[in-house]
Amino acid sequence: MKRTMSSVRVVLALVCVATAAPSAQWLKQPTAGVPRTADGKADLSAPAPRTSYGKPDLSGLWQPAAILIGDLAANLPPGSVPYQPWAEKLYKERRANESRDDPTANCIVGGVPRSDAVPYPFKVLQEKDLVVILYEAVHSYRQIFADGRSLPTDPNPAWFGYSVGRWDNDTFVVETAGFNDGGWLDNNGKPATDKLRVTERFVRKDFGHMDILITIDDPGAYTKPWNVTLPLILRPDTELLEYICNENNKYFDIIPKTGTK
Amino acid sequence: MKALRLFVAALLLMNTPLAAQWLTQPTPNIPRTADGKPDLTAPAPRQPNGRPVLAGLWRPAPGIVGDLSRGMKSGDAVPFQPWAEALFKERRANDSRDDPTARCIVGGVPRSDFVGYPFKILERPDMVVILYEAVHSYRQIFTDGRALPKEPNPAWFGYSVGRWEGDVLIVESSGFNDNVWLDNAGRPATDMLKVTERFVRKNFGQMDIEITIDDPKAYTKPWSVTQQLAFQPDTELLEYICNENNKYFEIIPKLTDR
Repeated sequence: MKRTMSSVRVVLALVCVATAAPSAQWLKQPTAGVPRTADGKADLSAPAPRTSYGKPDLSGLWQPAAILIGDLAANLPPGSVPYQPWAEKLYKERRANESRDDPTANCIVGGVPRSDAVPYPFKVLQEKDLVVILYEAVHSYRQIFADGRSLPTDPNPAWFGYSVGRWDNDTFVVETAGFNDGGWLDNNGKPATDKLRVTERFVRKDFGHMDILITIDDPGAYTKPWNVTLPLILRPDTELLEYICNENNKYFDIIPKTGTK
Repeated sequence: MKALRLFVAALLLMNTPLAAQWLTQPTPNIPRTADGKPDLTAPAPRQPNGRPVLAGLWRPAPGIVGDLSRGMKSGDAVPFQPWAEALFKERRANDSRDDPTARCIVGGVPRSDFVGYPFKILERPDMVVILYEAVHSYRQIFTDGRALPKEPNPAWFGYSVGRWEGDVLIVESSGFNDNVWLDNAGRPATDMLKVTERFVRKNFGQMDIEITIDDPKAYTKPWSVTQQLAFQPDTELLEYICNENNKYFEIIPKLTDR
C-alpha cells in the first residue's frame, strides 16, 4: 500500500512538472527589435523599451522565475501568510491530499494571480487602451482594460476576474475583482473567495527583467492583505507553444487511484 | 434515442445566440447614427497606412455556423475523397461522439471562425491576434514577413502567417495535426491541410472571410467557402471555460449503450 501511494505521488509530481521548464525552447524564432551584444546574444540588461506615448512597453514573451512557482509565498518568512482559520485548514487539506481538487488538473484556467506564477511563458501585448496576456498554460488569455473604465459593480464571476489597468508613472497598476468562489491562488492550493481583489504592479526594470508586485486582498480567506513579488525573465528568440490540456490529460486516470488509498 | 439526440442538440446550441449580449460596454470611437446606435453601414475604418482596420469584436453570421458547406456557392459540392466522405457520414450518424471540441479541445482553423461565439481581432505592427470566446482560446498570425515553418509542431490551430494584398489580409496556415474537424458537422482534415483565409472588410459592420481548404489527402481538389462576420458593438467577450461543467462524459456512455 505504501509503495502504491508513493508511486502515485511520483506520477502526480511528474504530471505537474512534465515539460515545464524547457517547454518554450523547442521553437527557435529570432525576436525582432531585441538589443543584442557583439556576439549576437540578446542584451537583457539593456534599458526597457518605451512606447510612443511615453510609458514603458511591457510587451514581450515572459517567463516567471522558478522560485515562486507552485508556492506564491516561497519568498516570505514562514508563517507570514495571514490565513483565516478555515482557509489554513483547507490549504493543509489540499497539501495532504495531493491537490486532488485542483481546478487546473481538470484543465480549467489558473486565473489571477496563479497564471502569472506557472512554469510556462506568457506573451504580453500592450496597446494604449488594452493589455492582453496570452498564456501558454491551458492556451488561455486575459484582457486588462486600460481605457479608463472602472471595475464593474456586478461582473460575471470568472476565473480571471475582471481587470482594469492604469499607469502610475512607469508602473502599470492592474486591479482585478469579480472572481468566482473557488479559485486557487497558487499550485499549492492557497484558497480564494469571491471577495478576492488582486492588485498587480508591473515594473519593467530593464529589457530582460520585470517584477510583478502582487497584493492579495481577500477578507473572505485572509485576515489582512499580503504581498509577494514575482520576478519575470524575458524569453528572446522563442515562441509560445500550443498547450492543449485536454488532449492527453491523465488526471482522471490517476485520481480514482488516489481516491481509494 | 430521439430524446438523447435532442439533448445533444440542445447542449450544442445552448446559450449560443445571446452569449455576448450579457455584457454592455460602449465601444469607443465607432460611428453612430443620430440616435446613438452604431452605424454598421459606415465605411470601414482605415489605418494610417491606408489599409482597412480589421480589429474589433466580430461574430460569425449564424447561417453558416457549424456547417461549412452552407458557405459554398450554390451548385458546388464538397470534393470528398471516398474515405473522408464515409467518415463524415459516420460522424453525422453517431451524433459527433468523437468531436474534439466536446472534450473542450480548441476548434482550430477554420472551425474557430465558424462557431456561434464572437472573437476579438487585435492588430499589432508585426502580428494579428484573434481572441476566441469559444473555449477561451487564441491564435497568432505572424505578419512580419516570415515564411511558414518547414517542420512545425503539429497543432490544432496550425501555424499562421499573413500578408496584405491591397485591402485584403491573406492568411496561410499549415502545420496541422491529423485530427482537426473543419466544422461542427465533422468534415475531416489531415496533416496535409493548408488553409488560406482572405479577410475582406466590406464596411464598418461587415467582414467576409473567404476560405480555401486544400487538403489533398481528404479532398480531391481545393474548395472554397465564404464566411460572413458581423461587427459586435457595445459588448465584450465572456469567459467561456469549457471544462467547468462539461456534460460530454456523462452523455457519451449513454450513446454507446443504445
